[in-house]
Order: sequence, then C-alpha cells, then structure tokens
Amino acid sequence: MAIGASASRPSIEVTGPATERPASGPGPYRGMTATVPPASIPLAFLLMAGFGLIAFGVATAAVAKRIVSGPTALPVVGAVHFGMLAFLSTAVVGALHQFVPVITASELRSVRVARVTLVMWIAGVWLLPAGLMPNITPMIVLGGAIVVVAACLSAWNFSGPLLKASESDSVTGLRSAVAYLVVTVSFGIVYAIDLHHGWFGLLPHRVLAHASLGLLGWIGLSYVAVAEKLWPMFLLSHKEKRGVGRLAVRIVPAGVLLLALGLLFAIRWLGLLGGAVTLGGLAFHVGSFVGWVQHRKRKLELLHAFVISSMAFMVLAATAGLVAELGEMGIAWRIRVASTSVAAAAMWVALAVIGHSHKIVPFITWTTLRKRGISKKPDGKPVLFGDLFSSALARASFGISLAAGVSLIVGILGGMPVLIATGGVLLAACGVLTTSNLALWPRVVVRSIRDAEVKSDESS
Amino acid sequence: MNQVESRAWDALRNVYDPELAIDIVALGLVYAVRDEGDEVVLEITLTTPGCPVAETIPEDARAAVAEAVGPDKQVRVEIVWDPPWTPDLMEPEAAEALGFG
Repeated sequence: MAIGASASRPSIEVTGPATERPASGPGPYRGMTATVPPASIPLAFLLMAGFGLIAFGVATAAVAKRIVSGPTALPVVGAVHFGMLAFLSTAVVGALHQFVPVITASELRSVRVARVTLVMWIAGVWLLPAGLMPNITPMIVLGGAIVVVAACLSAWNFSGPLLKASESDSVTGLRSAVAYLVVTVSFGIVYAIDLHHGWFGLLPHRVLAHASLGLLGWIGLSYVAVAEKLWPMFLLSHKEKRGVGRLAVRIVPAGVLLLALGLLFAIRWLGLLGGAVTLGGLAFHVGSFVGWVQHRKRKLELLHAFVISSMAFMVLAATAGLVAELGEMGIAWRIRVASTSVAAAAMWVALAVIGHSHKIVPFITWTTLRKRGISKKPDGKPVLFGDLFSSALARASFGISLAAGVSLIVGILGGMPVLIATGGVLLAACGVLTTSNLALWPRVVVRSIRDAEVKSDESS
Repeated sequence: MNQVESRAWDALRNVYDPELAIDIVALGLVYAVRDEGDEVVLEITLTTPGCPVAETIPEDARAAVAEAVGPDKQVRVEIVWDPPWTPDLMEPEAAEALGFG
C-alpha cells in the first residue's frame, strides 16, 4: 500500500499491516487515555500539591533560624515534610494516577480505592508535618499511620497495571519507585513512633538514610522513570538506541538501596559505594536527556529551562554530598554541607515537578473540558493546551522558583537565616502563582467561551 | 485525488495536535485518504504509540471529514503504526513553526 497514492502526500511504502481502529463510525476512539481514572482524582492531588508548596515555603521561612542552628530539630523536620509529602509526594502520587494507566494502557485496580487514597493521603500528609512542627506526638503518629495506609493503597492500585504491563524503561523505573514509596513511609512511621518510645537515637546518618530513600528512591526515581516517556514526546525526539535511559532506571534504585543501607547502619564503604552507583545512574539520566535533546525536532521551551535548572541542582546536591562525606572539615560545617546537599536534591525534583506540571495539568484539564463539550474558542479555533495557562505567569513561576532555590542553598551553606527565609517566601509565592495559573486560568477561558455562546444565542 | 478526498484533506487541516498547535496534515500524521465508494477511509498515525491525545485526534479527524463529505458516506479511521511517524514527515512549514525549518 502506498501512502498518499490516492492523494497529495508523498508516497511512502508501508510494509506491515495497519492496525484497525477498534470501533469505526461514530463514538469515541478508545486510545491510551481511555484507561485513566476520572480527572478529578489526579487534578485534586495536583491542586493539593500546589497548596503543599505554599505550606512548604511558609514553614521554611518560619524555621529559617532553626535550619541554621539545628537542621534535625523537629520544627525543621516538620517544614521538610511539608515539602517532601504535602508538595512533592502529593504531586508525584497524583501524576502517577494519570500516568501509570496511560503508559501501561491498563486501568488502575480500583477507582474507588483511588478516591479513598486521595482523602487519606491528603489528611495524612498535612497532619504529620503539622504535628511535627509543634511536636505533638499523637498527631505525628496518626498522620504517619494514615500516610502509610494511603501509600500502601496507592502502591496496590499502581501494581495492577505496572505488573501487567510489558517491560519498558518507565514501567521498570516506576515499579522500583513505588516500592521505595512504601519503604520510605514505613521507615517514616517507625521514626515517628520512635520519637515517643526512644528505641534508637535519631542520629543524622539515620535521618539521611530516610531522606535518601524518599528523595532519591521514591521521588527522584519516579521522575527519572517518567522522564523517559515524557521527554521524547515533548521534544518530538526519536532515536534508535535508548540504552542510556534504560541504565538510569535500573542503576539508580540499586544505588539508593546500597546508599540507604550504608547510611542506616553507618557502614561507610557501603554508603560511598551506594552513593557512587546512584551518581552513575543519575549521570545516565542526564546523558539520556542530552540524547533526546540532540535528536529533537522541536525547539527547547520553558519546560526545558526547568529541566536544565533542576539538573544543575542535582549536580550541586551530588557535589555537596561528596564534599560532606569526603572533605576535611569540622562537624558544624559537615552538617551544613550535608543539609545543602539535601536541599539541592529537593530543589532538583521541585523544579522538575513545577515545570512538568505546566504540561500535565493543561492536558488533563483539556481532556476534561472536551468531555464537557468545550473544544472551541469564541473565534472558532480549537482550544489547545497552550490556551489553558498563561505563558507569562509560567515564566514568572520559573524565575521565582529558581531564585528560591538559589536563595535557600546560599542561605543554608552560608548559615544565613535571612536568605533561607527569603527562599521560603519565594517558594510560597511560586506555589501561589503556579496554582493560580493552572487552576484558575482555564476558568477564565471557559467563561469567555460561555459568554461568547450566550451572545451568539442572543444575536441569533 | 477526487473531490471527496480533496474535501477530506481540507477538513483535516482543521484538526490540530493540541500540544503542538499544528494541524495533523502539516505534522504528517495523515498517511492516506481513500474514497472507497460508501465510505472514506483515513489512515492516520500518531507521533508515538503512547501519545496522550491518541483518543481525541482520530475522533476529531473522523468528525471533521464526516462533516466535510456529507451524510451519504461513512468515515472510517485506521490508526497505523507502520511506518512509524518520524519528524521528517512534517511539512517544512510545520518544522519551521517548531523551530526546525
């Protein structure tokens, strides 16, 4: 069959069979997104993640002095958990409720469980840090327990499609990442109960083991895995060999396991080995991005400014981690440099999440609007993803989040609470701006369409 | 190309990839349009099998062509993956719009 033989397209020989549309004639084509749960589920997670970012920024500003004087103090741990749970993990869990069914072309095990997960997750991830900051043990334990149950429910729900799906880089990476989510929150609840019972000392290396599991094994690996699907799509990039990304999603989880065990049991050589392996995996992740960019057929856009900046924070996190471990310095400086490493790692995934949310949220919103019959603008042109947020506000979000990251890092490394507080305020501002842009802008568009329809009806 | 096919191609120029803001003909996603008497067959591909708008583009294409050719003809959309879409299939104007002219 020659493509274009009956029309004006250039002729291309087709050698394989065509895949038939499952149901011809009127009615929706059952494509990849036919398997996703109701949009309200991922959108509610992502909206709450926006509020989580605001809370993270405010809490960071509030404990800025404590971050310098004692970064493992409970109020600081509370602020960090607003970032890790209420912001980052909420965004990732929400995005995975959309992403996992799409890439596996399989439905979640249960939409009802997804709804229960949403309610429990949001309750838990706000209760836990809200209890940590003023040190209210029952609140901490209750919040932690709810998060554990919600994480297990989401893992059970994701495991259906992830275990059924054929092997791909994203699927492989997400299987490990979801396992790390369960491990991280399980560790977390043990720590929370230990606050009351004192079974073991919450020494800095044990806290860092928990941070490594959560930041690298769960959130970081999720991003590495998802990126292998999203980057080529957003860049219109096609390349024959995908070996580098494949290595990244396999090496990072192995490295994190060794790193966390080394830190947990204070086995220095194991921690160093794990750190080196994790860094190797992340280097492949960066290499994969470079490869996709080299083969792209689309100019770089704002998303890639987010991605490249986030990678700079990742490199900074790795460098600071190495210096903290191998450098000759006093304990105070070592703690400061290690804190810088953790903060930079958090900014790596934070910038990536904020950037990608400007792609994911408009897509889900667009799908929702179409289902409500809203597909054309007043001028008759189709509603596109780019119509559902303000590009200017998105650029402002990028600038503010980048400034927040720099301010936090310099503030922590330099022991300057003012800069840390400034970074916190900027993070909160970024949360307000991004959430408003992605949640409210589509309402403005819909209102303009409705107004035009009313005017049209009146005139006719 | 007969008149029906011509109308179909024109109609497909109004079907957009919502992310790229470019019509699917310019993107090279339409492999063939055939008038087969009672029905018009569209062979359409997507930029990737996991394309998130896999659900909407074929349906939009079907609806646009159905409106253009009238009620006497059925419109059938076939999603084809072979040959896979590559950016080289884009029209020069589309490539230029994406910064690769």
